[in-house]
Amino acid sequence: MPPALDLSNLPDADVVALAQQGRDAAFRELIRRYERPVFSLIYRMVRDRELAEDLAQDTFVKVLNHVDRYRAEFKFSSWLFKIANNVAIDHLRRRQLDTVSIDGSPHAQSSEAIEATSFDVAVQQESALDELEARELGSAIERAIAGLRPEYRACIMLRHVEGRSYEEIAATLDLPLGTVKTYIHRARHELRRSLDHLREDSG
Amino acid sequence: MKHRHLLPDEIDLLLDNEVGFGVAPLKAHVGECDECRARVEDERRVVASLEASPHFAPSHTFADAIMSQVPVFVPWHVTARDTLARWLPQSRPARVAAGVLATSAASILTAAILWVATQTDVLAFASGAASDELRSLLTSGARALLSVVFGDQVSVMIQAMGSTAVAVALAGLSLVAAGSIAGLRALALASSRRRV
Repeated sequence: MPPALDLSNLPDADVVALAQQGRDAAFRELIRRYERPVFSLIYRMVRDRELAEDLAQDTFVKVLNHVDRYRAEFKFSSWLFKIANNVAIDHLRRRQLDTVSIDGSPHAQSSEAIEATSFDVAVQQESALDELEARELGSAIERAIAGLRPEYRACIMLRHVEGRSYEEIAATLDLPLGTVKTYIHRARHELRRSLDHLREDSG
Repeated sequence: MKHRHLLPDEIDLLLDNEVGFGVAPLKAHVGECDECRARVEDERRVVASLEASPHFAPSHTFADAIMSQVPVFVPWHVTARDTLARWLPQSRPARVAAGVLATSAASILTAAILWVATQTDVLAFASGAASDELRSLLTSGARALLSVVFGDQVSVMIQAMGSTAVAVALAGLSLVAAGSIAGLRALALASSRRRV
């Protein structure tokens, strides 16, 4: 057995190198460091705790199973956030495609066909999980973030919640630097307007 | 700068706390213009709210659920290095002593090899004995092989005919084996072409 290492003070690149050598503790250290940022990013994108946890797990499984392909010239956290963002965006796109109108199929030709393809939405009782979500995502700023386009959401969170530079965000999201700056500017503008509306509504 | 309000990009520069030649006049304008000051303060409030947003924690089983889907492999060179590290003494004096011992052993072994290499008659005798031993091993191995493949009677017959017959029989056997391999390969190729 190799001697136990204190990994908490090592930089990411060293911990990744140890993971590449098959050290179980290094894998766990990478999860410990980034579980909250990655989970928070995805949770704010999909706004469903259980789903966010599944997608965050997928992100880590993808990254850790291919840790041998990691190149040290790229920041590990940028690589991780890139995968997390892709996983969340892919899910949102799939969900958009899977969405079925409760008013019936758009291809229905007659009133009978519309009735046959429509369905009732049952009123769901609010579960403990829903209450937790409402508490976590119920603040004015969280509701304002929810109103943003997913691309804006990812940019603004990486900038102001994770404290990343514009250049890092551009590399992480595979976007031109100018686009990142525009998205962040528009996101701030939209957030300000949403917060003003929320203030007016509650006032 | 006094005659116009700040552009969105200029407000972003102030929000990002940029420092530089162009920022001072923007700050000066904000100091004088109530409208621009209000816009910058509004944007600052948004940024402050974002920066105060907490990280959410996943469930306590999160890490275990991930690790159950991540097989951890230890590369062979790491295993070899760890094994070597286990054999090495931990304390510094013990390592120095082990190093001295290993160096002495290596030096003695090298000196012995060099001495043997200079003794030509000893070397000739040893290589002759070794080649005789090797020849007898090969011959007995070949006979055993022939006996298994062709049966005891053929083996005895070949033995009676001498070492030339053994060599001819082995050559025949090699030809049959090469022919079989070539035939099987041709069959496999034909089969794969048919599948395509």
